[in-house]
Amino acid sequence: MADKPSIHGLVADFDSPDKLMDAVKAARKAGYTKMEAYTPFPIHGIDDAMGAKPSILGYLVLGGSATGLTIAVLLQWWTGAVDYPLVIAGKPYFALEPSIPIIFELTVLLSAFVAVFGMIGLNGLPNLYHPIFNYSGHKGITDDRFVLVIEASDREFDATATRDFLTAQGADKLELIEA
Amino acid sequence: MIQIQGIGNQTGKKFWRSLDELSNSPKFQNWVAQEFPEGAADVMDGKSRRKFLQVMAASMGLAGLTACRRPVEKILPYAKSVEGVVMGNSLHFATAMPFNGGAQGLVVESFDGRPIKIEGNTNHPESRGAAGTLAQASVLNLYDPDRSKEVLADGKPSTWDSFSKVAATLPADGEGVRVLSTLVNSPTLAGLRGQLASKMPKAKWVEYEAFTDDTLIEGSQIAFGDALRPQFDFKKANVVVALDFDFLELENRSLGWVKDFSARRKPAPVAAPASHHGAAADAHHAAPAAEAHHGAPAATEHAAAPPAAGEATPGMNRLYAIESNFTLTGVMADNRLRLKPSDVQNFVFDLARALGAITGLQILGQQDRWIKALAKDLQANRGKSIVLAGSRQPAVVHAVVALINQTLGNAGETVTYTKDVRRPVAALKELAGELNSGGVKALVILGGNPVYDAPVDLAFGDAVKKAPLSIHLGPEVNETGVIAKWHLPESHYLEAWGDVASNDGSISIVQPLIEPLFATKSAIEIVGFLLAGKWPKGFELVKAQSKLDEAGWRKALHDGLLAGTAGASVKGAADKTKVEAAVNNAPKTGGRIEVQFFPSHNLWDGRFANNAWLQEAPDPMSKLVWDNAAVMSPKTAKELQVEIIPDDVGMYAQKIIVEIGGQKVEAPVYVLPGHADNTVTLMCGYGRKEIGRVGRGIGYNAFAVRPSTGLGFASANITKAPGTYYMVSTQEHHSQEGRPIVQEAPLAKYEKEPHFAKEEEEHVELFSLFQEHDYSKGNQWGMAIDLNACTGCNSCLIACQSENNIPVVGKEQVGKGREMHWIRLDRYFTGDEEDPQAVYQPMACQQCENAPCESVCPVAATVHSPEGLNDMAYNRCVGTRYCANNCPYKVRRFNYLNFHKDMDELTKMVQNPDVTVRMRGVMEKCNYCVQRIQEAKIKAKAEGRASGAAGPYKVGEFMTACQQTCAADAIVFGNINDPESKVSQLKKDHRNYALLHELNVKPRTTYLAKLRNPNPELA
Amino acid sequence: MAELTHAQEMKERLTPSLTTGHPTYHDVTEAVSIIAEVKTHRNWYIALAISTSITGILGLMLAYLVATGVGVWGNNSPVGWGWDITNFVFWIGIGHAGTLISAILFLFRQKWRTSINRFAEAMTLFAVACAGIYPAVHVGRPWRAYWLFPIPNEFLNMWQNFRSPLLWDVFAVSTYATVSALFWYVGLIPDLATFRDRAKTKGKQIAYGIASLGWRGSATHWKNYEKSYMILAGLSTPLVLSVHTIVSFDFAVSILPGWHTTIFPPYFVAGAIFSGFAMVVTLMVIARWIYKVEHLVTMTHLENMNKVILATGTIVGYAYATEFFTAWYSGNPYESYVFFVSRATGPYAWAYWSMISCNVISPQFFWFKKLRTSLPFMFVISIVVNIGMWFERFVIIATSLHRDYLPASWGYFRPSFVDILTFFGTFGLFITLFVFFTRFLPIIAISEVKGMMAQTHHEEHFLDEAVAASEGKQPVGVAH
Repeated sequence: MADKPSIHGLVADFDSPDKLMDAVKAARKAGYTKMEAYTPFPIHGIDDAMGAKPSILGYLVLGGSATGLTIAVLLQWWTGAVDYPLVIAGKPYFALEPSIPIIFELTVLLSAFVAVFGMIGLNGLPNLYHPIFNYSGHKGITDDRFVLVIEASDREFDATATRDFLTAQGADKLELIEA
Repeated sequence: MIQIQGIGNQTGKKFWRSLDELSNSPKFQNWVAQEFPEGAADVMDGKSRRKFLQVMAASMGLAGLTACRRPVEKILPYAKSVEGVVMGNSLHFATAMPFNGGAQGLVVESFDGRPIKIEGNTNHPESRGAAGTLAQASVLNLYDPDRSKEVLADGKPSTWDSFSKVAATLPADGEGVRVLSTLVNSPTLAGLRGQLASKMPKAKWVEYEAFTDDTLIEGSQIAFGDALRPQFDFKKANVVVALDFDFLELENRSLGWVKDFSARRKPAPVAAPASHHGAAADAHHAAPAAEAHHGAPAATEHAAAPPAAGEATPGMNRLYAIESNFTLTGVMADNRLRLKPSDVQNFVFDLARALGAITGLQILGQQDRWIKALAKDLQANRGKSIVLAGSRQPAVVHAVVALINQTLGNAGETVTYTKDVRRPVAALKELAGELNSGGVKALVILGGNPVYDAPVDLAFGDAVKKAPLSIHLGPEVNETGVIAKWHLPESHYLEAWGDVASNDGSISIVQPLIEPLFATKSAIEIVGFLLAGKWPKGFELVKAQSKLDEAGWRKALHDGLLAGTAGASVKGAADKTKVEAAVNNAPKTGGRIEVQFFPSHNLWDGRFANNAWLQEAPDPMSKLVWDNAAVMSPKTAKELQVEIIPDDVGMYAQKIIVEIGGQKVEAPVYVLPGHADNTVTLMCGYGRKEIGRVGRGIGYNAFAVRPSTGLGFASANITKAPGTYYMVSTQEHHSQEGRPIVQEAPLAKYEKEPHFAKEEEEHVELFSLFQEHDYSKGNQWGMAIDLNACTGCNSCLIACQSENNIPVVGKEQVGKGREMHWIRLDRYFTGDEEDPQAVYQPMACQQCENAPCESVCPVAATVHSPEGLNDMAYNRCVGTRYCANNCPYKVRRFNYLNFHKDMDELTKMVQNPDVTVRMRGVMEKCNYCVQRIQEAKIKAKAEGRASGAAGPYKVGEFMTACQQTCAADAIVFGNINDPESKVSQLKKDHRNYALLHELNVKPRTTYLAKLRNPNPELA
Repeated sequence: MAELTHAQEMKERLTPSLTTGHPTYHDVTEAVSIIAEVKTHRNWYIALAISTSITGILGLMLAYLVATGVGVWGNNSPVGWGWDITNFVFWIGIGHAGTLISAILFLFRQKWRTSINRFAEAMTLFAVACAGIYPAVHVGRPWRAYWLFPIPNEFLNMWQNFRSPLLWDVFAVSTYATVSALFWYVGLIPDLATFRDRAKTKGKQIAYGIASLGWRGSATHWKNYEKSYMILAGLSTPLVLSVHTIVSFDFAVSILPGWHTTIFPPYFVAGAIFSGFAMVVTLMVIARWIYKVEHLVTMTHLENMNKVILATGTIVGYAYATEFFTAWYSGNPYESYVFFVSRATGPYAWAYWSMISCNVISPQFFWFKKLRTSLPFMFVISIVVNIGMWFERFVIIATSLHRDYLPASWGYFRPSFVDILTFFGTFGLFITLFVFFTRFLPIIAISEVKGMMAQTHHEEHFLDEAVAASEGKQPVGVAH
């Protein structure tokens, strides 16, 4: 394989989520580690099956919320009580009660930003090229095909062995794709 | 002269350059002259399709014509101390407005040579610091782009020179020469008149105005055999009986009356009275010219304060009003009786009989109770009462009234008499006769508008046409001006020298504040020319007449008054037999339905019809703007099957035809509760045809049915006319819906429980959820308004409009509820539907300490100043209108459109440079005349006064515009932290209460509850 | 009518599976994609022409308004707010159902939401767009409207008043618009990828390619994606409740009788859901008919929405009753006047009673299954409800303002033609946006529907429901 370093991996194309799931489980048992599943919709439990860690997005969003909250409090306190204090309706320059709506809104806003752009970031998007697009049937992935890729960089990877292994899992189609 | 140059530059130059050749060409001059009459009448309605043209025309006209300048005498203060002038600071000059045979002594604020604000002259016995609506608004007439600007010969532009040639051809002996002038109360003019009489012995001079009080003088003629004018001292009167006489507003010849009367509306202090020494302390400090208006408060303090220690405290007076229309006097009255105008005469006779003034049997049985109670009350107050009757009533009534006052021993006490002269309408009749018989060669009309307002049966217009030579001098090319062969532009009193005697005879110099804006002349100059054959200088005529040396002259100019010129009171003895004879020969007047003629609250006899401020000032009773109506009682309306269909944005009034002696006029009805039944009141002064853009076609002309035999009232036929007429008012709801808005109680109750107005405040405890702002230090501005004193006369409204550059929006916009007045006078009816009482409540921004408007403004455009003002930052306002929605008093005004768009170059000169002109899309409201506060602050700083707890201001050193002009001293403004200030005293008064206090917005403006002092026997 | 060709084309493609009753994942892809793929039909252009010209009217009116001043509307003193704020609240309210369906129902695992949420979210965005116009132009000086945002500006270097409910509005509404847009977009990404992969032309390929950010549906993608979607749903739920709460503060925080009411927040939220769901029903009835997606947007969906309408409508009715009770019980004369005189019998009684009959009475018909499953009936009712909800806002604003504390300042509000045409125009904008949406984007969340099919273990099962539901029978296993 040294003469073929440009191989990204071997694609196995299934026609149902269940088959894909079984294949993934089997692959893990067979000791494969570097694999990735491609599906038209999320398949529950596949992450565990592949041994992937849970998403860290939640923690990022928590940070966003904290930032939004802080900004909101500082904004209302500083502008109202420090930078330009004005007597308005005889009310205090700064009080928590009237500040709550804006505190809440800014918290939500920043959390939402992190939730979206965090997800995009963690997914390495936008990214208009990926080896999977070299797979002749990749368009099926967003339709009704369920694809498992065992990557060439996997220690266990062997063009023929892996091919036989995946065929045994009932893949309708197998294909080597370039990196 | 600096400031006068300023004007020259502002107007002349600005347009000269661009329009030079143009404005010189006669063709252009024609066009300018003709463009004005063609302007759309509804220019103020924002509907005009030719605004651009009009504005251009006005401006160009100004440009073209400012060229014709005369060399003019120096205005004294500048001649004396030019170096004292600080550009950007306003100066104040004393002058006087001649009006309807009387005068109002004024102090006029001049900014860079532009008179911009008119206020009353403290030193003047008849104004005492106050100024009426008409006087204040008259400054707008000075800058009226539709003013008459040039000599017209047969309607074509001409020149003074060509007029001079014609005038020189008048017969030397005055054969067939007739002069028709308005009431002559200018010593100079009177003098010239005398000279004219001797130079032209055959000439005759006639005086005419639509509304005179000649019947009053005629009455004295009967009673005393001499032409006397009664002068009243309301300060001394415990009981006042007004017989068809609106002496508190319309027919008021002296604002001093209101001042004295309202001073007597203050109840005798019940518990511990608040001390007013601080207030009184300031009472008399001599005022130099620039100080003149600052001096005003002194008098205010004085007049408003209860009698100082020593004097007995006379307590609250009692006012009886017997009247047909519901006038402001009737609103103030403690007991009011609605009578047909003709029945007033009988009432007076009965009263006289009940008092034993005359003998005879009573006529009006059904008024027996009233007569008895009234007689009893008067008897109990001998020498301390006033009975007075209005000019609509015939001479005999006044004769009887004179006798009554004598019988009650009021004569010499509360009622004194000064010499006066008769001005009978008969003279005009005679003149008309001469004109028709062709006996008149030349008719010189000095001011006025007889063709419009002369009794209709004289057909004066046609008569004038018969004169081979007719000359009309007038401020506008009015109905008379277009008929006369020659029209001469008359100078405004603010731009020409003159002098004038007021009601009590005191003489004031009419001092101009600006050189004539156009090629205009004054009446004295015209007469002077007729005498001398060459153009005299008004200045010299007046100075000569005054016979004063330089020092005396200066003092006179400064004080606005020639000291000691008030007429001496003459002792008259009313002749009972003569009066009884008159009573017995008194013709039986009246009919089933009677029509009475009132001068309009706002336009008077029509001379102010082109004044937008006054057109938009609500009628005090009906609150109608931009219209007049035929006012009648609900019952009469029902009988005539006419009604007003209220519409959400105005009202549709049934039209009626009023017919008097064959003359007809069509008018919309207005149904006014409290109006006498079977009586219709017509407001005159509307329906002008020949007039500028503002006034044309507004309302109907009541003069079209006014007969010379019934100048006051006449019986008439009323018939329903097809169709309705759309009218708008500034107030659609007249009931308080049982809410505690205007707190009112009889005097008796007040004496028992003086805190009645505070009941709620004392029982509902209010608290804030937050630490409130501390206003206990420094200057904290506040206001107290005495509902017991307010007459509802609108003076404050006009003062505010003039001071604060408040735009006029026009009938259509008012209909949509977009009027801009910062202060309004809410008028509520109370009691019976047919015969209610009414109360007024001046309503402007209450400057709440916890202002609800502030907390909702998203951009903090309205915030609180450290001195407790609810400030508006106009240039920060984005116009969400949230503040107005959240204002419980609804005193905020929004510029829904660019209301200044139609204001042309000339009128812009009236704007007060101390106050921002608001653009469209911006919220505005009363700010306690913050510009005046700042001015005083700067002054105090400049003089390096120490700032005590009360701040560096002298008590009443400066006043808000509304307070300054209030003749009744109902509005008091000042520093509530200053224990010496009048306002802090009043806020301690028992009657003081905060409107809607339960909202805990803590208004800085509070009200003093209204009291009435009704005769228990009439309860 | 509009897209009949779609119908035929779709039939041909789908009939086999639908008739045999075995819609596969592919069928779903087809069913949705085809709508955007078939050749643009003439009727689409006609629809576009009509809607854009109505939007044009909106443009003209706004131009006139900005050039002349708020005076071109009927607003006056005392009625400082008229149709401007009425319409603002109306549109905002409509928007709420979208977020509700996509967020709250998602959190509650309401499977039936999947085939309507995309559409509902779109509605939210477009409604908020319409609503957003009003606060911007209702101010006297629109060119200064940006002063409402806390950005230091050249004029009077000062800050906003953060105590003003109007400023809370600014934050709430802009946050709401932003989050809804993000939420919507996130949901779109996988489907855009589908469109990308099905694109026939290079242009579309690039466009959808960029829009889908290179989405490849890997397990890692889905992992983060689902997390993100869940969080957004979690955020949107309190957000949507807060937005109308804060809108209601515009009134509740004031001191005006009829506005100053603590019941407003829940009452406004209920009203918003009420009107929003009605609008979704209106649109869905039209859409499923035009685009022939009855097997995806089933009668079950519609019926469930009608149930929500019935529930919220009743809550709103209860709120109305409570207002009267409070007015009476508080013994506050000003408050009582507003309800017992101004509203019930005053000059605006006509508006008040049309509100009652539309909002309280009309939804009660949905107690009957026959009626709530009848397309024409629910269509009519859904429209009636939105008329009623518009009146609710108008009544609250106009009747409270036109007669407040001092009778001397009382007035009346009458809309000008500009008021009317502006409101009319906003519908043009709303429809225009929809016309574009249905043409170029997946109007149903493809991947979500597929996910749902997978979850319902056997495809036949799903089919049964689809078929059953499209015949109006109560499906099994969906609603649990």
